[in-house]
Amino acid sequence: MSNAPAEEIPAEEIDLTEANEVIDKYLKLPGNLMPVLQGIQDAYGYVPKPTIDLVAERLNVYPSQIYGVLTFYAQFHLKPRGRFIIRVCVGTACHVQGAERITETFFGRLGIGHAETTPDLRYTFEKVACLGACGMAPLAMVNDDTFGKMTVQKVDEIIETYNARPMK
Amino acid sequence: MVNLTINGKQVAVEKDATIYDAAKACGIKIPILCHDKKLHPFGGCRMCLVEVEQMKGRLIPACTTPVTEGMIVQTTTDEIVKARKLVLELLLLKHPIDCPVCDAAGDCDLQNLTYEYKVNMNRFVDEKFNHEIDYENPLIERDMNRCIHCGKCARICDEIVSYGAYTFINRGIEAKMGTEFDGPLNCEFCGSCVSVCPVGALNSRPFKFKARWWALQKTKSVCSYCGTGCQLTLGTKDGKVLTTIYDENQGFHNGQLCTRGRFGYQFVNSDKRLTAPLIRKNGKLQEATWEEALAEVTSRLAAGKSDPASVAALATPRLTNEELFLFGKLFRGTVGTDNIDHSAGYAHEALTKGAVASFGVAASPAEIADVQKSNLLLVVKSDAYETHPVIGFEINLGVKRKGIALRIVSDKKGKLTRLPGAKTTVHAPGNEVALFNALCKSVIDQGLAVEGVAGLDALKAAVADATAEKAGVSAEEIAAIAKEFASAEKALIILPIGQGYPGHNAALANAAANLAILTGQVGKEGAGLLIMGEKNNSQGAVDMGIYPKGTGLNAAAIIDGCANGNVKTLFVAGENPVVSYPNRAKVEKALENVEFMVVSDLFLTETAALADVVLPACSFAEKSGTFTSLGRRVQNVRKAIPAIGLAKSDFEILNAISQALGGARYNNQGEVFTEIAASVPAYKGLTQAGLKDEGAVYPVALAAKLVPAAAKAAAPAAGKLALVTGSALYHCGTMSRFGEGPMYVCPDAYAELNVADAAALKVEEGDQVTVTSGTGAVQVVAKVGKRVPQGVVFSPYHFGEGSVNTITDGAEVTYVSVAKK
Ligand code: SF4
Ligand code: SF4
Ligand code: SF4
Ligand code: FES
Ligand code: FES
Repeated sequence: MSNAPAEEIPAEEIDLTEANEVIDKYLKLPGNLMPVLQGIQDAYGYVPKPTIDLVAERLNVYPSQIYGVLTFYAQFHLKPRGRFIIRVCVGTACHVQGAERITETFFGRLGIGHAETTPDLRYTFEKVACLGACGMAPLAMVNDDTFGKMTVQKVDEIIETYNARPMK
Repeated sequence: MVNLTINGKQVAVEKDATIYDAAKACGIKIPILCHDKKLHPFGGCRMCLVEVEQMKGRLIPACTTPVTEGMIVQTTTDEIVKARKLVLELLLLKHPIDCPVCDAAGDCDLQNLTYEYKVNMNRFVDEKFNHEIDYENPLIERDMNRCIHCGKCARICDEIVSYGAYTFINRGIEAKMGTEFDGPLNCEFCGSCVSVCPVGALNSRPFKFKARWWALQKTKSVCSYCGTGCQLTLGTKDGKVLTTIYDENQGFHNGQLCTRGRFGYQFVNSDKRLTAPLIRKNGKLQEATWEEALAEVTSRLAAGKSDPASVAALATPRLTNEELFLFGKLFRGTVGTDNIDHSAGYAHEALTKGAVASFGVAASPAEIADVQKSNLLLVVKSDAYETHPVIGFEINLGVKRKGIALRIVSDKKGKLTRLPGAKTTVHAPGNEVALFNALCKSVIDQGLAVEGVAGLDALKAAVADATAEKAGVSAEEIAAIAKEFASAEKALIILPIGQGYPGHNAALANAAANLAILTGQVGKEGAGLLIMGEKNNSQGAVDMGIYPKGTGLNAAAIIDGCANGNVKTLFVAGENPVVSYPNRAKVEKALENVEFMVVSDLFLTETAALADVVLPACSFAEKSGTFTSLGRRVQNVRKAIPAIGLAKSDFEILNAISQALGGARYNNQGEVFTEIAASVPAYKGLTQAGLKDEGAVYPVALAAKLVPAAAKAAAPAAGKLALVTGSALYHCGTMSRFGEGPMYVCPDAYAELNVADAAALKVEEGDQVTVTSGTGAVQVVAKVGKRVPQGVVFSPYHFGEGSVNTITDGAEVTYVSVAKK
């Protein structure tokens, strides 16, 4: 993921109970930083800044190092993520099959760009490289659902479908 | 030992050496960028590639590869040179070539290697980095466009400083050296990262565009702030100190300094410096000539000779040994008064009374090198880091690298308490002596006392009722610390002393010494007691006898004497009692009352402003002589620039007065040192030339004995908070207020409260609060955190405005109420 300058991180008051529970669970485990951060991300959907300070204090690790770990691994997110993560492949096969038009259409319809989240937290959009199903290019995914042979029309159908889904 | 051959040379080295170390040992230079002798090997830059006969077919990094028996190494074959050139080309691909405006030019490893390897063109092209430069803080500029990702800044900040400000963030081509959330740097500003950065990515902002590296004159000297006595190199030009220069071969600390040493030098060339003598005429201080000023002072002192008891003199332990010796000789000998002292008495009684009673010498039995040789450090107050930050680095290194156990007994938490494995016992303020007595009792009760120590019975009786409860600590904790301390192979107690720590007095030194003596932790390396004097020459001032020895008045009594008229003439060399002695109103009144006061100082301090004659003195950069650091190391201070304005060194001032009064006269300060070496037993045989760059630790012959120490029962006042005073990390005494660096980072007096107390008082960080005691009231800024426990307020003592001595009266703990302004 791209790094997030301090001013882009929302100043937030969050309930740290779940984060504390995750830390309690792994407190005695050597090398516990990764599972703790993963647990926090599972609980909150991303790693909120106050939880980083909490982890730093409770595990006695520098906050900077936690931030280093979080930005090194693509799996971690520092900003709230959408309920639905739309991934469009821009790998070679998909690119040749017109992935560009698909991404552009999503951008236009959702009003967000790569690695961005809609203000209502419904969608996060990500361009990704080869998803390993080149036969179905161009390819899109929403959370764990796969959509092959994407077209502009299918973009609209996807959005309609997921707009109708509940947020929880 | 391991034998190997490098470029045909035979060399034998320790078995944990690397090829790089081995080459260095036989005088062969292998170029490095990411390696640093003080840090864990990294092996990231590939500049140090060499060829090893036994590992043919690839090039080996010298800095991470351990030596093996019979290794045959080549360090500069054509292939190696080619590889190094490639490394440089790749680094220069992204690195901007802005050497003409880069402050590191001339001191840049990348520039020097590019020159050495004649990399005058690049086969590759790429865009340069486009990172924003961090100008947010006033001391360190971070231009990550110039960064070569050597990782040294992050490693030193972690491994030695233990602050951990930096980390590599992101991955691959986007990776950069950054901070948490890629925000601006906000740390303790020790400048260690700047000093090790091999390029111009991290720069000292106060030095920015001040001078080219090669135009600087470099003078090796000693830091004039705290008692650690870090060696430093002053970079000067046109009579100005422009920077401190990093030299990794200087001192036990390998050139590392704290924020005061690194960024606090600006007081030397401050435009607030006094440049001419001042005489009070018609109630106002007015410029005068040296002749007039000295005539006034000498006639006063000459008159005082007939009534020596009416003369008193205070000297700052910032002066050189030579100046202090002359000071003592002038007042004790020529004038004939024993009313001489420094630092309000209590700040050094741990040495002059405590250590003398317990060890028979007015010095620490331990030296700095013992810190890393110990197995267990027992630190009194987490503030040991704030008072002596570079000793703090030694503690960090010892704990993290050597696994030395760290136990802290303190009235608050601090940076040291976060070190891995550190155990902190937080006790109620003012309970230190009670705590050490309880430890001694526990040692005795557990049968851990060594046999036949002198004074054991008296101590047993004295600590018979010294319970953990009286120290406000759990019995289990006391028993555990006592056991660990007694059973450690080598255990060392670290005790910082100074004007901010009125409780760290003779009794505490005795109480701490008792624990060490009782457990046999004295008289061997890595053990004993390290008493850390606050100022650069605190130990020297004691060695030169600047304290009343007979019936003379100590500093507190001198102030009283000024108030009641018994003291009529007061000579103050560099002290600032108005801000640093307890009870400011009382001190001010006394100094206003004394008939005649002369002050020599660099600045028109709060005290100098009350004087009848003010003499402009020289800073450490304008004079030569010696300082004696904590742990008894005598070191050379060297003149780096000519005197500012008409200022004279205290040596010159005292020498002139002494001569006018018919006392001794010296041709130069060096002659005084010769006399010191002849008359101060500990300094016997030392010469300034013989001290060279590294200085010399003078030996002590210990006569250890147990000396019962009485614990005062603290009497907490209901509904009040316990105020403890001390040092802020960025300051030392009252002089650092004239250094831009420390003042940028910590400009104002403050009171630090626990979050719970702050919430109860409805006080938030940054609020103005009034702190009131029985002595007075003061307004300061509130700081809120978890460092201080509930019921305690901490306030540093360095500041003239909102000075905490307005509300203290020399007691170990002052009970105060705090209210939002
Ligand atoms: S100045 Fe000191 S504390 Fe700050 S980042 Fe550099 S090394 Fe770390
Ligand atoms: S800022 Fe300097 S010390 Fe830090 S990684 Fe970059 S080049 Fe190395
Ligand atoms: S203030 Fe003390 S610790 Fe800091 S550089 Fe100077 S002597 Fe060293
Ligand atoms: S390139 Fe898109 S799935 Fe492989
Ligand atoms: S100096 Fe050896 S790899 Fe950098």
